[in-house]
Amino acid sequence: MRIDKSHRPWMIAALVVLGVALAGYVPYALGTRPRGGSVPGLIYGLAGYGMMLFAGLLGARKKVPVWRLGRAQSWMRGHVWFGLLTLPMILFHSGFSFGGPLTSLLMALLILVFLSGLAGAAIQHFVPGMMTSMVPLETIYEQIPRVRDQLRAEADKLVRSLFTVPDSVPELTLAAAASGPSRDPGKSDAGEMIEMEVAEREYAGGVYRDTVLPFLRNPESRRSVLADQGKAETFFEALRRKMPPATHEVLADLENICEEERQLTRQRRLYLWLHGWLLVHVPLSVALIVLGGVHAVVALRY
Amino acid sequence: MKQIDLTIDGTPVTVAEGTTVFDAARIHGISIPVLCHQQNERPAGVCRVCSVDCGEKVLQASCVRPAENGMKVQTDSEKVRKARRMIVELLMSDHPSPCARQRHSGDCELETIAKAEGIGAPRFAKRISPRGQDDSSLVISVDHEACILCDRCIRGCDEIRHNNVLGRGGKGYGAGIAFDLNLPMGNSSCVSCGECMVSCPTGALTNKSVVRTVLPNGVPVAVEELKQLPYFQNVSGTFLELNANAVIKRHFKAGEIICREGDYGSTAFFILEGKVEIFLSTPMAHVSTDGGASGFIRKLTSRLTGADRQKPDRDRPRSISIDASVDLAYDNPVAELGEGDLFGEMTCMSMYPRSATVRASTDCVMLEMLRNVLDVIQRNKTLREKLEANYRKRALDDHLRTVPLFSSLSPEFIESLASKAELVRLSNGDVICRQGEVADAFYLVRIGFVKITEEHPGGDLVLAYLGKGGYFGEIGLLANGLRTATVTALDHVELVRIDGADFMEMLTRFPAIARELTAVAREREQQNSRHMAAVTGISLDSFLTQGLMESNSLLLIDLDKCTRCDNCVRACADAHDGVTRLIREGLRFDNYLVATSCRQCRDPLCMVGCPVGSIRRRNSLEIVIEDWCVGCGLCAQNCPYGNINMHPFEVMVKDLAQPGGQKAVVKPKATSCDLCADHAEPSCVYACPHDAAHRVEPNQFFKVYAETKIAERDSPATVRDLTAAKQTGTIARSPHPRDPRSAH
Repeated sequence: MRIDKSHRPWMIAALVVLGVALAGYVPYALGTRPRGGSVPGLIYGLAGYGMMLFAGLLGARKKVPVWRLGRAQSWMRGHVWFGLLTLPMILFHSGFSFGGPLTSLLMALLILVFLSGLAGAAIQHFVPGMMTSMVPLETIYEQIPRVRDQLRAEADKLVRSLFTVPDSVPELTLAAAASGPSRDPGKSDAGEMIEMEVAEREYAGGVYRDTVLPFLRNPESRRSVLADQGKAETFFEALRRKMPPATHEVLADLENICEEERQLTRQRRLYLWLHGWLLVHVPLSVALIVLGGVHAVVALRY
Repeated sequence: MKQIDLTIDGTPVTVAEGTTVFDAARIHGISIPVLCHQQNERPAGVCRVCSVDCGEKVLQASCVRPAENGMKVQTDSEKVRKARRMIVELLMSDHPSPCARQRHSGDCELETIAKAEGIGAPRFAKRISPRGQDDSSLVISVDHEACILCDRCIRGCDEIRHNNVLGRGGKGYGAGIAFDLNLPMGNSSCVSCGECMVSCPTGALTNKSVVRTVLPNGVPVAVEELKQLPYFQNVSGTFLELNANAVIKRHFKAGEIICREGDYGSTAFFILEGKVEIFLSTPMAHVSTDGGASGFIRKLTSRLTGADRQKPDRDRPRSISIDASVDLAYDNPVAELGEGDLFGEMTCMSMYPRSATVRASTDCVMLEMLRNVLDVIQRNKTLREKLEANYRKRALDDHLRTVPLFSSLSPEFIESLASKAELVRLSNGDVICRQGEVADAFYLVRIGFVKITEEHPGGDLVLAYLGKGGYFGEIGLLANGLRTATVTALDHVELVRIDGADFMEMLTRFPAIARELTAVAREREQQNSRHMAAVTGISLDSFLTQGLMESNSLLLIDLDKCTRCDNCVRACADAHDGVTRLIREGLRFDNYLVATSCRQCRDPLCMVGCPVGSIRRRNSLEIVIEDWCVGCGLCAQNCPYGNINMHPFEVMVKDLAQPGGQKAVVKPKATSCDLCADHAEPSCVYACPHDAAHRVEPNQFFKVYAETKIAERDSPATVRDLTAAKQTGTIARSPHPRDPRSAH
């Protein structure tokens, strides 16, 4: 979620709550040693735990998207800003003390959740824009493997106009079988062989087998020269100089395919950034809420 | 309408003002021979065979002579008979008897009349300047010698088919019919539709038996047998011979399915014997938002939270229009058809999918026919009157009542309105009324689709498409008496025309309806103004080329905010029985993604052709697919943006093999975004936690967007900042001075 001007009311509300809490905490801390079991301590604890619960409810809210329980973006804003308040509230509750093993664990969990949340907010603020500008050919994440199959099949069709693809490359045959529409609908699938010298044909085949095909097989690998946009441009420029002009259109298509592969790789990585932090944030948050509940029951009962 | 009293052959008759003497006689069962006139063509009065004595100095051609009050007409007096005999004898003297038609099917109209008048060998000499034959067409043979210059072929070509190929050429003895600029027929722009041949009363235009249309699975019916049937009696034998296999007789046993809803076909059925049951076998529901128990719980939850505002327009029609002379009740979509009924007209004439399933209730015999045959027999006034009578009896009342405005009319008035209503047939491209013309009638669409357009200096603006059950014409009648838009038939169209005077009488008698109509007319005018304002707004080339400005509502996703969490997709699926109606992929414009989801187009092509009218616009923006969708997929094919999907649903249907039993079948149904009509806001937008998804009215949105861009252009510093922000992703982009999303 992009943190922009529309967050201002939430930010002000959070600052007001923080200010009130702080205004209450200062005389309380100056007058006596702050303890979680004191009345002010319990109030801060309950407020902090309540905010944790509210923040945790966002997950539940997402499970029932159609229920008219308030717009999801309001829940998200509440999650962000009340979530931010949990740390000061709990610190006020504990009097900035970590206490025993359980409370220390809770405090560690809270800090981790807080930090992962901050990181997540930052990621979700910046990465969507990066993905938009860096991956113009973005597709639906789950479709990436399928799109890659299609790109390989397309490359296979393209190079058949340059040289005979040996049957010993089973991936190509498989990919061709599952191929989608050709990049250029006007071009025949198999295509006629472009006229060129035998040596040129062998060179093109060698380049494809040694460089392009390994990259298409494993586009996530950083070792290939084609994994880097600048190097790939140099590579294809050099290739064009060595190949007859009749092949340049095919080479340009191949270059585009490689570029699309790189963009898909980029998309996958950015997507993992966008959602990967949740793998830390969500389990820790659940643990925090559960252990926080245990702590509350234990502390109040015993 | 003013009535005229006259006497024909001593019989007093009363007809409407404007009726010709020929039609007055025909209506009252008095036959007048004629050659140049056909019921489906404008009368020309060129053959004079229909001359009658109207008590005037000279005989009058009855086909063009209007009846007058107090007129005394003699159709068979000695004077008339003598004149007629002379005319026919003169025509026969120039006719190669027997002509090709007389030789093949024995129904040359001239020779038939000559025989009836007892004319043998003409006393007059034949012409000495031969006109010749034209065999250049592969399909139609032209024998100019047999042409009597009646112009029926010319009117058929020009007025009925609008091909405008045929005309008159030459003068005096050299006069004859001519194709284009007197080219041989085979070299002309003739499309070989056969209309001229069917119109020709003699053997001047005959088929070469080259084209053979064949219908399978039936018994071909001999021409003689067809001619015995009342509806085929006036059909040219030549035509029937040419189309020998385009009409077949089929026998169905009780319980046998004759056609299924959603299937594509090209034939119509005419029931000769027996009864059939016509019904929708596709169960209702499954495509509407929030159906079933879970929907109920959701609605209940919404009510409890008070967060929702129900949209008011959830009116269900009480009947479903189908391709037959009956409508099906929404609650119990079953009806019965019997002897003399026709069904499948729209499928046959316009190739629409079958709108309902038809099953033989008893052993049945029916004629199955292709379009060319149906088209020709429908010109037979006897058949048309029968079909129209069936329609008036069974469905017109219902159709009138489907117009919300008429639903409160008294049954007596509906009945009187139905009896006065005129049924009008039109072909593709026919203009029903033009903008600026005097409004003289109100129309209800019975069959087919019409397009309503408003003329503007930059071109025509499509205001709406109307299908079966739609109505138009009230604005002109209510406003200043002039048509405010042009209405054109998009295919084979049949309309119910209610005369302006009857319409105004209704308004006088039922003031509540007048008030309501005025409100509707105002609403439509406002809607049209909104449409107009929309297209006269900004013009962004790329958006125009992508057709986005033609939409009413776009689902835009701000990619700078969207975390690709797909909550919108899940919400959509959750709101629609697990089937999402949006795909988070599509066109991009700057940092916006135009998601693949219904755009609620201003010109909703998807609505054209739905055989059961289940895809429609209610009185509001959203295009909804009602739950009686038969799954033909035509709307999905018609949508240029791929925003309608066919989704298979497992449903329980009656097991025909086991009476009373049910079986599970998979039925496809069309699904499309309905803007979550039950809710105040589409679920996808409501469920987006990142404020990235927005439903926007494109014109307003991009107007603000363009203003923002202009402001950016005028403020280089801002642009630099924004560019830097976009390139590096490290600077938060300044919000737009006016957030375009506020346009929603």
